[in-house]
This record gives sequence, structure tokens and C-alpha cells, in this order.
Amino acid sequence: MTRDDFELDAAAPGDARGEAEAERDGLSRRVFVHRLTFMGGGVVLLGGACKKDEPPPPPKPAQPPPQALVSSHKTFTDPEWATLSAACERILPRDEDPGALDANVPEYIDRMLQTREMEQMRKNFVPGLAALERRAQKMFKTSFATATPEQQDELLTLFKNSPETSGEARWYEMLVVLTMEGFLGDPSYGGNRGEVGWALVGFKLVGRNIKGDPKPPYDGSKRLEELRCGGNRGC
Amino acid sequence: MAKDPVDVCIVGSGAGGAPMALELGRAGFKVVLLEKGAWYKPEDFVHDEILNSRRNFFMPLPWDEPHLWRQGADKPYSRTNEAWTANCVGGGTVHMSGYFYRLKPVDFRLKSELGAIPGANIADWPITYADLAPYYDKAEEELGVSGNATPHPFLEPRTKNYPLPPLASHPVADEIEKACKQLGWHAVRTARGILSTSYRGRNPCVYCTLCGSYGCEHGAKASTNVSLVPPAIATGNVELRPRCMAKEITVDAKGNAKSVVYVDPDGVTQEQPAKIIVVSCTAVESARLLLNSQSGRFPRGLANDNGLVGKNLVFSSFGQSRATFRVSTQAKELKWLDVTAPFIDRSMQDFYLMPDDRHGFRKGGTLGFMWAHPNPIFAAVGIAKKGERGIFGKALKDKLREYRDSRILEFEIYGEFLPTPDTYVSVDQNVKDKYGLPVAAITIKRHPLDFKMTQFLVERGEEVLALLKPEKLERVGTAGETTILQGGTCRFGNDPATSVLDKDCRAHAVKNLYVVDGSFMPTSGGVPFTLTIAANAFRVADRLVQRLKKGA
Repeated sequence: MTRDDFELDAAAPGDARGEAEAERDGLSRRVFVHRLTFMGGGVVLLGGACKKDEPPPPPKPAQPPPQALVSSHKTFTDPEWATLSAACERILPRDEDPGALDANVPEYIDRMLQTREMEQMRKNFVPGLAALERRAQKMFKTSFATATPEQQDELLTLFKNSPETSGEARWYEMLVVLTMEGFLGDPSYGGNRGEVGWALVGFKLVGRNIKGDPKPPYDGSKRLEELRCGGNRGC
Repeated sequence: MAKDPVDVCIVGSGAGGAPMALELGRAGFKVVLLEKGAWYKPEDFVHDEILNSRRNFFMPLPWDEPHLWRQGADKPYSRTNEAWTANCVGGGTVHMSGYFYRLKPVDFRLKSELGAIPGANIADWPITYADLAPYYDKAEEELGVSGNATPHPFLEPRTKNYPLPPLASHPVADEIEKACKQLGWHAVRTARGILSTSYRGRNPCVYCTLCGSYGCEHGAKASTNVSLVPPAIATGNVELRPRCMAKEITVDAKGNAKSVVYVDPDGVTQEQPAKIIVVSCTAVESARLLLNSQSGRFPRGLANDNGLVGKNLVFSSFGQSRATFRVSTQAKELKWLDVTAPFIDRSMQDFYLMPDDRHGFRKGGTLGFMWAHPNPIFAAVGIAKKGERGIFGKALKDKLREYRDSRILEFEIYGEFLPTPDTYVSVDQNVKDKYGLPVAAITIKRHPLDFKMTQFLVERGEEVLALLKPEKLERVGTAGETTILQGGTCRFGNDPATSVLDKDCRAHAVKNLYVVDGSFMPTSGGVPFTLTIAANAFRVADRLVQRLKKGA
């Protein structure tokens, strides 16, 4: 797989302009990964962060015009939504227990990537879907969403096993993290529908049904927003 | 425009700042307590893993307020939220687990005990355990600590038991005690900054399992936002100003600290003059504030005549292993597997100080036994892994089902973290946070003895876990550091050439400036720092109150 298959990182190795800017930042852009580590919270990978300073890449003439947002999804176009849904379902497929789509994971990701906190991740994550789609077209002559489960797994494995700092590997990691959040997070964020995720891992057995548990009409995203703004003080 | 002057302005309301505010307020001095984060109420502490552990409820996001981190000066920095503790009233004491150990006498005189260690800049403390002991008593009483100090060979000297009886332990604690005994070691009870019974109007613990990394909605943790800040405010002398970010400490013509310049919740820059200024923002952030407070008198940063502000950074050496038990097949034999009680509260300190160096090190630390944190997203991301070892699909779901059928018992190490010349905090003028302030840049290069020590302790812990007959025993790591525990960046000492603070935690170079978070600690000790920071802050407050009453 070559770097130009994927535009997640603005500065590929040897990109002189990128390296020069990296020097000025005192930061290497190539290894520029935001990691959120929390006590008991593990590591969340939030992708490369310098992309925001880059001008958008010029549209390639061969590509179809950008799709209008005709669906109810706020983050994704319909084709992106189809790719995302298929990818999430391969990470956690339905078997004897519910899978990612049963838990409404794509809806979680769509909503979560609208928040200010995840703006950076949105910029990194959305183009990855197009990369996955391009690769499916190239390898299987069909879209990712309509490829066979075996083909989808082959492609996801390719992304997963790419070099650690590659855009592909980072995108795969984001996909896994977002899918897990959507499967196992509080249902008020839009995922974990019917608490099927918690049922799968047995979470309800150990930590729930006490005063601090979120109860309807609790809304996690709204709460985060209110708290950040200091109650009624505007941001 | 500057606000009306007060006696004391304290920056930070955690384990260091809150005791100062309480004691100064009680003594009748007018105090302004600045806190960069929000003032959460108990009802804000909801058991929502996404909110608590995966967004900026506690920790800032690395694109808003990054720390820079590099493994050695020859490596590039990456942006991270490592080495932040909670940004809220109460600081790190809000999301702590509350393992409230005391240091031991040897921790105050490590250099005398061990002699010089090549490559490690260790130093004796300018105070002894006996100097701090009464303030440990005081901190345990004011914060509310539960435990039972039964005699054991490694017990630090103490004159009274804990103010609250111990929390109920999971029955596996008995098994751990047996295993340790069989190996010739000792499982001793871990004291907790968590209330076992009602105390001073606060509610006791209800034994939920989401404790560390969460705020307590019952106020049962010894978090200073419930234990110390409310009584401080009740003195009528302490004004808490949450969501106020200190930018700089100014100095007057004589080089004394004059005021704290801060950004208020509306984004307006304010100035709070005070006779005494106390800094307590964590060892990393306090160093950053001083380094960012540059003036004609202190061109390299406040109180930094000798260039030592930010140097000698220490964390706590971390290592961990975990034992997995299978409920469906092992519960018949292991009766305790079905019990979901959260606390084990057993520790091993047999390797705190080795009698000789036959294992290659002398100063070790503590092993604490606990159940694995039940945060499900955290667990699942860990199970999914990444790269070649990563799994998805059916394989991942099988592992998640296996997890449902598991109980994971683990230990973690709190080991000595030797200060090295290559582990320090600086500020990076080219990388600024959302306030426009240069951010803290952390360079870390560990001493090889730390790893040797941690590995030895991890191996001993594994011997204990193995006797419990787990289905699986895995090593998490032996070369980590716990970055929420931090110290050393303004070490205290008697010699102004080799330390930043004097033994009262007053800056040698600025006679009305104090630093009371973990920054003062020249060595890390072999236990979590929180109780020691609080005890020391009570000690410093005592000295400061005496000084102010004399009008000095």
C-alpha cells in the first residue's frame, strides 16, 4: 500500500514542507499523535492534528461531485454512511449476540463527531472512509458496503496491519475506539441501544443501579456541553 | 484593574492548595483560592464513562491545552494529555482512588541510606518523618481516612489509629493474605481516603465499583472539594474562584511576589494582589507557571535563579500484572469469585527497602492489589488491541464474552522513581494553549535501576497471584510511570544552590512565595503521593500562620 492511497497525514515521510513546519512547531508531524490517557480510561487515539492548518486538497477531476447530505446524518453523506455501517458491523458483527448495527453504533459515531471535542477526529476520520471505499473499488471492483464479508474483513485487516504511524492503521484504531464507545457507552449518546453492549460484557452486573448512574432524561453530550460552559454561562 | 489585595492568594484547590486555604482561613487571614477548573457538585458526578474518562470533563484536550512529551531530548515531542490531573475544584483528589499510604522514614533520607547513585540526583529531605508525622495525623483526620494500622514489620511509626474503621474488603483479601504468608511475606491493609462511616456531615461509601477515575456522587471520597474546601469557605475568610486560569505571578521592585494575573470565566484578564502567594497546580503545571512568570528580576522564571525550577521531575514507577479467573468454571472451587465487592485493600511492602543489593537495587516500593477497573470501553479497547495483534469480528466478540465470564485481579506497583538529569519540565514558547500561554514540555529519560526494581516487584507479585490459581496470568508492564503522581520540580532543601524551596516550602529567592503541591519532594518515595502532599501542606500552613501572626 502506498502513502498516496490515503490523505490522513498531510505530511508524509520526506515531505520537505511538512518537515520544515514540524521543525518550527518543535513537533514531528509524522509521529504527531494525540493520545488521551486516563486513569481507568485507557488510551483514546485522536489522530493527527495538524490537518486543520492545511488547505483542503484540490478535488480530483475523476471523482464524482461531493454528495449532498440527503440523509438524516449530520457527519456523513449517504455513501459514507453505508461504508461506515458496513465497517462497524464487521468490527462487531451480529452472531448469537447483537452486533454494532443492533446497538446503533453508526448513529453514535455520527452524533459524536458533531461535538466540538471531536472536531479534530471528524477531520481525520471522515476521509478515511473514502480511502476505504477507493481501496474496495480498486481491489474488488465494488463498493465496500456491497463487498462480501470476507472481502470487507480482508480490507480492514490490511488497514489494521499497516505500519503503526500510517494513516490506515490510525484510522482503523479510530474506527475500533469509536465502535467500542458506541457499543459500550451510555445509551444517551445514541449507541448501546437497549444496553446490548453492556449485556454482552456483563457490565450491568458490577457497576450499575446506584445513585450516580445516568437515568433518563440524562443526555451525556448535553451534560458535557453545559459543564464546559459553566452551567448557564455561555461558551 | 487590580482587585483589592488579600493576605494570601492560592493557585490550585487540590491536595496542596485546599489544606492551606482551610488553615489560613481558620486563622483569620483573607484568602483568595483560584482554581482553573469548574466547581462540580456531587450531582455532576455521573457514572458515564464517556463523560468522565474519555472527554474533557476532568482532563483538557490535547489540542486545547496540550502537554508535550518526549522520551529523551533527542526525540521529537508529541502532544498529549499525559501528566494532567483533574482540572476542577479538588484537582486530582476528585478522581483519585484514594490509596492513602504514608511515606516511611527512609524516604526522607534516601541519600544517607543508599549513598549516591550514579546517574540519579537523589537528595535527603530537609525534614524527617518525625517532623511530618503529626501532620499525617492531621491530614488523615481532616480528609477522613479509613484503615486499620495493625502492627507489621514495615509499619511506619504512628501514635494513633486511623480516624475511621477500614472499609469492607472483598473475601479474596483473605486469599491474598494466605498466599503472602505462604511465601513468607505480608499482606497489609491499605488505608483509603474513602469514608467507611458517616463523618463530619459526609456520607459513607456505598461500595459502587466506579470509584477511581470518577468523582464520588456521595461525597464519600476524601476529595478536597467535599472535605476541605467547604469548611474553608465556611470560615468566611476564603473566597473560591473557580474557572480562573493563572497566567503569571508578577513581582515588585524588590523581587517579591506581588500578584497573580489570571483569566476569569468570562475570558477577562484580572490581577489579584496578595501579601503571600501560594502555588499548588501539580508539579508539572506549577513549574510551568513559575517558568512563564518572567521579569527583569527573574528572566528565567520566578524563583529560578539557580535554574532548578522544572528540573528533577519525578513520577511514580509503575508495573502491573493481572490474573484472570473464569467464573463459569472456577466459581465452584473459588467461592469468592461470585462476590462483586469492589475493594481488596491489601498491599505488600516487603520490598520497600532491600537489606542489600543482591537483586541489583535497594529502594523498592509498594504493591497494591485491586480488582481491574470495570470501565467497559477501556476494557474492550484493550481486548481489541491493534496492529498485527489486533482482533475484530467474531474473534473480538468471543473475547468480550470471555471477559463477561471473567474476574480480573491485578496489582500495581508504586515504586521509587529516581530523579535524573534528563527528566524535567520546561516550557515551549512555540506551542501555546488556548489561553495563549506557552505549554509545559516534559522530557523523560528513566534511570535503569527503576526498571530493574519494578521488574523484581512485579515478579514477586506474580508469585502471589499464581498461588490463587488463576486461569491466566499476564504481565501488563514493568517500565511504566504513573504520571498523575508527580513531584520534584521545585525540590525543597536547605541549600539555595541545590534547591528551589526552603524546608518550609518557601522559595529561597522569593520570600513571600510558597509551592505546596508535590513539587517540593526531592524523591518520590514508594507510595502514592496524595496524602503526603496534603500532610505537608498542613505543615507548611502551620509554619505560615505562625509567621504571619508574628507579622514577618
